[in-house]
Amino acid sequence: MKSSIFRNSRDVFLDIVNAKDYIQLDRVSTIYQSLKNSVKKPLKMILLYGKPGTGKSMFLTKLYHDLSATQDVYMYKTPILDESEFYKTLAQDLYKIKYRGELNFTQFMKVVEEHDVGEVPLVLLDEAQLYSNPLMEKIRLLSDTRKVKFVITLHKTGKEDLIAKEHFQTRIWESIELENASSIELKIYIQKKLMKANCFDSANMFNAKSVNLIYKLTNGNYRDSNKLLYTLFDIYTHYEDKGDSSKMNKNSVSNKIIEMAALHTGLIHD
Amino acid sequence: MININELEDRWLKYKIKSYIPYIVILLSIAIIITIFTLFNSKSVIDKTTVAEIHKENTPEIQVQNVVIEPIKDIPNIEIKKESIAIPNLEKTTQRVIQNQPIQEKNMNYTVPIYNPNKKTMLAPSLDFMSKLQDNTLPYFDNEREVTVNKPNQEKSVQKNTQHTTAQKKQKVQIEPIKKQSSIQIDRQNTHDDINQVIKRFKKNNNPALSLFIAKKYYQLGEYHQSYNYSLMTNEINNDIEASWIIFAKSLVKLNEKSMAVETLNKYIAHSSSNRAKILLDEINSGKFK
Repeated sequence: MKSSIFRNSRDVFLDIVNAKDYIQLDRVSTIYQSLKNSVKKPLKMILLYGKPGTGKSMFLTKLYHDLSATQDVYMYKTPILDESEFYKTLAQDLYKIKYRGELNFTQFMKVVEEHDVGEVPLVLLDEAQLYSNPLMEKIRLLSDTRKVKFVITLHKTGKEDLIAKEHFQTRIWESIELENASSIELKIYIQKKLMKANCFDSANMFNAKSVNLIYKLTNGNYRDSNKLLYTLFDIYTHYEDKGDSSKMNKNSVSNKIIEMAALHTGLIHD
Repeated sequence: MININELEDRWLKYKIKSYIPYIVILLSIAIIITIFTLFNSKSVIDKTTVAEIHKENTPEIQVQNVVIEPIKDIPNIEIKKESIAIPNLEKTTQRVIQNQPIQEKNMNYTVPIYNPNKKTMLAPSLDFMSKLQDNTLPYFDNEREVTVNKPNQEKSVQKNTQHTTAQKKQKVQIEPIKKQSSIQIDRQNTHDDINQVIKRFKKNNNPALSLFIAKKYYQLGEYHQSYNYSLMTNEINNDIEASWIIFAKSLVKLNEKSMAVETLNKYIAHSSSNRAKILLDEINSGKFK
């Protein structure tokens, strides 16, 4: 095994949302295909929801990456909390109109009605739970015009459920829930991710026992798993740098190092 | 930046913490098993104690077989410590009895002379009947000498010791000249024995035990104690004649003649006991003082 393999493996699990890092798992692929199909349908709004770390942002990024070549797709990863700024940004991106002053909802609705571009632009709003209730209500009214289509992602918590109930219950034609990975999916996810970065030796280190322990610690959450695996390979890198090969079993991942990584990431406490 | 040494220490703490529940469970199981084992062994000991007590209560006769050979110089045959366990009395008795030489019995055997020319008619002989009678009696007498008295006859064990030994002397000492074998039976009338019986009585409150204690104290001349224990016996069971007799006797010995008479009168009215009547007559006539 080359000395840099642990460092490379560590970098694979950096918490960066990149469409290229998207890992195709059977269930996830089915859901993604379902989402793509829904976008083609004349739906007003599509809701993508799930617990934090289940891959909503990755889904949205992947969708943007796949659709941007063929249609007008605008993605807003960070919520624009100021209402006027939100309308001005949409007006500039969707209709190429720049406003210097304030732009209120009535003015923006007028702009939307006036611009009939043929193909309905798709607006992807990540972290929609951060938008205020009045703004969410206005987004709903915008989608009712059928001039703009929205795909929004929400964290599935009590509060977000309430938002979904109040604002989107009657309008959402498609809602897709994302869930944590199962133990088998997690193993495939880890191995595919490592193999994608040509870290085959590292990928072979993960057997069912070690993956089960990781699953037990992270409950199959992709974000937590990424964090844990990043720390795990960081620890291996440290041992490697120190030349302490006695603590590195290169055939399989040591449970001790998994637990050390979990302690460091705060998944367990001493 | 990861501090590996600190992380290893944290991991060690975490591991120790994670094992604590298992250690606690194992310790609890070990403690439970230990308690269970101790409890079991205790119950076994209790059972054996009960068995021993039961064994003590059951009449036990230990007879050593004495082979008496009809030789001129008969050796001394000694029955060492013949322990006689009397039910409810727990009494070990040792006696010294002179064993008497056994006389050779003259046995006449008729040996028929074989004569081929003479025809003989065979008839059944009934001599064995007389032999049986001759043989069994002495054996039976010897057996009786060693056999222990029955539980209900404890009184006779106490009182009639000399009398029975006298009788035995008459029976056994056929030839007092030859003192070649002896049987020793020692009797122990110690307070330790009474104390042991008192302990048992306190445990099970058996009126037979208290009656025994009362009798023993009476024999030892401790009339206060015999009065107390016979009183206790009467409280437990007021139908024991012997207890009322000892009670009355103890009262007489304690110079409470009038009370003894009164008690006996009441008891006679209640039970019409002949022994009580006889005792009452003896007290009234002054025979019993």
